[in-house]
Amino acid sequence: MVNVLRRLNKLTAVIPQLVRLRNGPGAAMLPQDVTRIHMEFAHRINQGHMGPRVFFREALPRLKYWNPAVPMVVNRSYDQSGPATLTLYFREPGATLPSDLPQPSSSTQGLAKAPAPAEGERALTIDMKNRRSEAILKEFMEKSGAVSVKMSPEDEAIMREVEERERIGAIDRERIRKLNEAAKREKQMIAQAHSEAAAIKAAL
Amino acid sequence: MASFNHCLASLARLSLTAPARPTVTSTIPKFLLPTASPSVRHAYSSGGAGMRKRPKKRRQYKYFKTHDLSQMEQFSLCDAMRYIRAFEVGRPPASVKYEVAVKLKASKGGPVVRNRIRLPFPVKTDTRIGVICPEDSPMFSEAQQLGAVAVGEESLFESIRQGNIPFNKLICHVDSQEALKKANLGRILGPKGLMPNQKTKTITKNLKATMQDLIGADDYRERDGVVRIAVGQLGFTPQMLSDNIKAVMAQLKEDMQKIDENHVKTLDEVVLSSTRAPGFSLDGTFFPTDENLKPEDLQSVM
Repeated sequence: MVNVLRRLNKLTAVIPQLVRLRNGPGAAMLPQDVTRIHMEFAHRINQGHMGPRVFFREALPRLKYWNPAVPMVVNRSYDQSGPATLTLYFREPGATLPSDLPQPSSSTQGLAKAPAPAEGERALTIDMKNRRSEAILKEFMEKSGAVSVKMSPEDEAIMREVEERERIGAIDRERIRKLNEAAKREKQMIAQAHSEAAAIKAAL
Repeated sequence: MASFNHCLASLARLSLTAPARPTVTSTIPKFLLPTASPSVRHAYSSGGAGMRKRPKKRRQYKYFKTHDLSQMEQFSLCDAMRYIRAFEVGRPPASVKYEVAVKLKASKGGPVVRNRIRLPFPVKTDTRIGVICPEDSPMFSEAQQLGAVAVGEESLFESIRQGNIPFNKLICHVDSQEALKKANLGRILGPKGLMPNQKTKTITKNLKATMQDLIGADDYRERDGVVRIAVGQLGFTPQMLSDNIKAVMAQLKEDMQKIDENHVKTLDEVVLSSTRAPGFSLDGTFFPTDENLKPEDLQSVM
């Protein structure tokens, strides 16, 4: 948990973190007929699992924030040669689905395989292997019909302030770095003079 | 007159002794010669005559610091859960815990809040109990029947010494208290928080009641003016989490009232967090501020 003083400051820690969660890649509202999302990929990045992981870290939390009711299950396994797929489940027009669909919860051991679509549901798979997260997101947005969320003016104002603070901070950091370096140089010169003097004394 | 003579004498002595010392004759300029006392000054050495630095006396605060929280952004329970579920998306729900940190306005030193609570919806389900009791008594078989993973006296002490600790809670019957003292296990069990103790109610006369009390129960204590306790798993619904938090707060209130009048404790802040999410200061309300969001939306499979 973040320190109370950092939480009290609106420009550090929590609030900018929440603004970044509300906006950015993946901040989108899914249409009503998307029933659930399933992701499957491996823990490590080799053999083309980098893009899926970045998507999971960057885009999925934002999607979950804007679509809290949609189950999003991630199945990660240690099999690098395994598939990297994203499965979208849609409700067929006019169909009603039971509220308790058989649904495994997320797993890090490869135990939550993508369930077969229930009756009145159709599934759509996106292959994520060897692709960048941006490309995955683009395809996801097109196929799901998700609508991007526009940044609210309040969030924009907060981010402007955060950036301004960062800009001023960079100037200050540079100034302090120069001061520290000058002090360090001076110390070094004094030490060198001392050692030279000691050498001369020893030579006498 | 006498003093004048003294003065003269000392002057004469000076003039006599001074030439006796050999003078340094060298071509090195004087400023390059190392001086008798190194010119590098240390923080602890005296800066000059009578300028000795004393260690600064620090102000001792009687109370743990609290802050004015009027500027703090606070969240309703459902809002905080929505954020936390977004931060924790895709993680196995059994491994992620909701936890609360309850900050108290409390004095440093003095008695602390310390108790055990059985939540309406238990968070930990892997309680493994070890029981210390005389080996040839009816209590031995009773403890085994109640599901203790390790029972015994000398044999149990021996296995603990060998580092074989299959339990995460340890209780002791009053009859074995002396044996436990002699066994000298404090050094092994103490750091793990397993040492049976009257204060934590783990030395008992009634094994059955204590064991039932321990299963599904959770210990908490105040450290530096904050009580921290896990209140839920990621899969909990908002209502379940709300019930658990209410139970914790009700019991904490009782605990605070029990503490004597010289150490009054009051509630300062309740922060909900989880394994990966930031801390959300709770404002005590339940329903989400977003009218499009219903509490039922926050109970889908994670």
